[in-house]
Amino acid sequence: MSGDVIQGFLQAIQPSSLVATAMGSFLGIVVGMIPGMTISSGIIIVLPLTFVLDPSISISLLLGLYVGGMLGGSFSAILLNIPGTPSAAATALDGYPLVIQGESGRALGIAVLASFGGGLLSFACLFLIAPKLADLALRFRAPDLFSLVFLGLTVICSFAAKSWVKGLLSAVIGLAIVTIGQDPILGTARFAFNNANLLSGIHFLSALIGLFAIPQLINSLDNKQPVNTSTNPIKLSFRNLFPLIEDLRRMRLPVGIGATVGSLLGMLPGAGGPIAAFISYDYTQKSTKNSQEFGKGAVEGIAAPEAANNAVTGGALVPMMTLGIPGDPVTAILIGALLVHGLAPGPLLFIEQADFAYGLIFSFFWANVFNLIIAFAALRLLVKLVATPRAILMPTIAILCVVGSYALRNSLFDVYVMLFFGLLGLIMKWLDMPVVPLLLALVLGRQLEENLRISLTSSQGDISIFFTSPFSAFFLSLSVISIIWSIRTAKKLQIKQKST
Amino acid sequence: MQQQEIKALRNIKVTLLFCLLFYAAVGATQYPQKAIEFVIPFDAGGGADIEGRLLADQMSNVLGVPVVPVNKPGAGGAVAYTYLMNAPADGYVLAWNSTSILTITNLGNVPFTYEEMDHIGRVEFQPLVFAVSINSPWETLESFATDCTTGNQTIRIANSGAGSGTHLGALSLTSAIGCEVVHLPIGTRRRNATVLSGEADGMIAPLTGVINLFKAKRLKILATLSDERNPVIPEIPTASELGFNSFFDLFRGLSVPKGTPQPIINHLAEAMMQAATSETFMSFSEEVGFTVEPMMPTSFQSLLATEDEKVKTILEAAELIMSDGN
Repeated sequence: MSGDVIQGFLQAIQPSSLVATAMGSFLGIVVGMIPGMTISSGIIIVLPLTFVLDPSISISLLLGLYVGGMLGGSFSAILLNIPGTPSAAATALDGYPLVIQGESGRALGIAVLASFGGGLLSFACLFLIAPKLADLALRFRAPDLFSLVFLGLTVICSFAAKSWVKGLLSAVIGLAIVTIGQDPILGTARFAFNNANLLSGIHFLSALIGLFAIPQLINSLDNKQPVNTSTNPIKLSFRNLFPLIEDLRRMRLPVGIGATVGSLLGMLPGAGGPIAAFISYDYTQKSTKNSQEFGKGAVEGIAAPEAANNAVTGGALVPMMTLGIPGDPVTAILIGALLVHGLAPGPLLFIEQADFAYGLIFSFFWANVFNLIIAFAALRLLVKLVATPRAILMPTIAILCVVGSYALRNSLFDVYVMLFFGLLGLIMKWLDMPVVPLLLALVLGRQLEENLRISLTSSQGDISIFFTSPFSAFFLSLSVISIIWSIRTAKKLQIKQKST
Repeated sequence: MQQQEIKALRNIKVTLLFCLLFYAAVGATQYPQKAIEFVIPFDAGGGADIEGRLLADQMSNVLGVPVVPVNKPGAGGAVAYTYLMNAPADGYVLAWNSTSILTITNLGNVPFTYEEMDHIGRVEFQPLVFAVSINSPWETLESFATDCTTGNQTIRIANSGAGSGTHLGALSLTSAIGCEVVHLPIGTRRRNATVLSGEADGMIAPLTGVINLFKAKRLKILATLSDERNPVIPEIPTASELGFNSFFDLFRGLSVPKGTPQPIINHLAEAMMQAATSETFMSFSEEVGFTVEPMMPTSFQSLLATEDEKVKTILEAAELIMSDGN
């Protein structure tokens, strides 16, 4: 075993592998930043290359892209308030406010460091306890996943604190939209009106782009609105590009929570990045003293989801490598890419090609390191991006939104969906309705329904399976606590508002 | 001066006419003149995607123009087939079809049938297998059949999705055995996990999806649903050998819009044949467990017709044995 570890280590530090990792990480950051371009679409672009490259080099390239893409998605979320990937949606909540305050360098720096922290912890998981954890993750059944997704949805309550009616309405709209498409159990069409595009359902990324980007673009048309950059000119001093020592201290707890939640949820096939990011955001908010600052540019609010979404990458590699079961769409493509080279991820990988398996794990480590280096090197440039004149920046974003939503499934229908959600976003803004509950419902709704109905099909309608499974019972009780907590916080807020 | 100009003009006209004639002649004889779109009806990274990409790559070598894979996932293939039907019938848009072309059209969710497209041929097929966890008490299909028919316990069989080929395979097997089970349309991503964890007692899956866990001795394959034993797993019996007449293979091939000229169809079929039997594609097939057996347009048409009947029969019967109280 130890011989294989050393072999793997040597394989991962070959100059060609390192160059591939760095290139992948760079490409990933670029692809992730473009709204609508997912990590999957980035991987598809380089996939033909990997057919001819050596397997260890191609996997380094792909892992670099995976890790880089997660971070890139957060950059556009922070700088432009448009999440590049669904996992980055939570990061926008506090990242963008900090940018408006003129501290874009600091916001990005926090995100990069938190991501690195999350990546490292999930690397440790992958390296030290992967096989054991994989078997634990297997014990998760549909009822447990249902309860987990339900817990994720309770995060809505935190965003509905100002007005329960508006918050819950927003969530219900999201859940209703999710019912469009094929019924997950019967396969029959729902609200499809004989249209194949509607039959395939609303892609949440096109909705996400519309909801975030369009109101932003319309807002920028208003000349009376101060340009975020002109009120607070960005100082490009060295100190402004890095988090303060004080920030590092404040980041410790959120990174810890995010990395743990991310690594664990990453391992569950079908849970995924967005839910990990939102749960850790919510938990950090509930466990820190300055919860009032959340949503207004809190350091913790950036660090927690960032650590979580990057930790998900390492977590998702655990079931992929040990069982050949993909945790998310990207690992599904990775499996395909490895198969072309005759390397089958699964229980046999660690037995028959252990050196390659460990090489992959070390490549994941290097991908995180290069991510840190490249991101910090690019920080100056990125910060200038926000300072681009509005007349150039906004049309560019508009074009990217259209191209990005088209590129999701190579379908013009998704562009219309994006525009529709843009309109919805505008209306909701006008009504002062929170967008996050709608977003969460869109991202999690389908999983919620699928797991609920599979559980009930499996138990033949017996609801008790949600309470007899220990995991499920645990998540459900956490959900109850989460809801009660949110109600109490909301009451306190109201009392405070009345007294002032 | 003026005459010279007129003469020059006439020369130009004549040259242009010749060019036009030349292009028309070439256009008629040499079909692929620009890149061909190769539509993959499923998400990037799955079996359909990787196999399709490799075939497209080989086809570009044969045809001499780029064959560009484009994923158009959604609704089990419905989005891609709808796109194909609306594309011009000039041979520049191909769809990488599968059994889904019969299942989605028969489920009644789309307003067309497979006959509203033209078909180039089959490239490969792979058996559906009945697999259970290595810890399962069933060692043979017969012992499963006995437990299933006595009906003392609820048996849960996972598949890749409602109305998918694997779901139909499961329906076909259980009706051949003559018992009822609960079908769990769990999806490709979690299907194997549910069998390993015991959430489902068994599953119907394409061989490519389970071959690695089978080799690693985490799964047992009790039977295939093919006509004869599969060369990749020759030790596994077919269901019909054991007396249960259930046949359901998954196929993949190529389709084009209705009305594509016959010479172009033949040209594509020839290219498909060469690409499918190329060394790269063949060695990949051995690695992941599908069987390359190309079929030319006419034989593929008759295969589609018989398979379509089969799918229809299974779906009609299934309304009676739908498990969730419908």
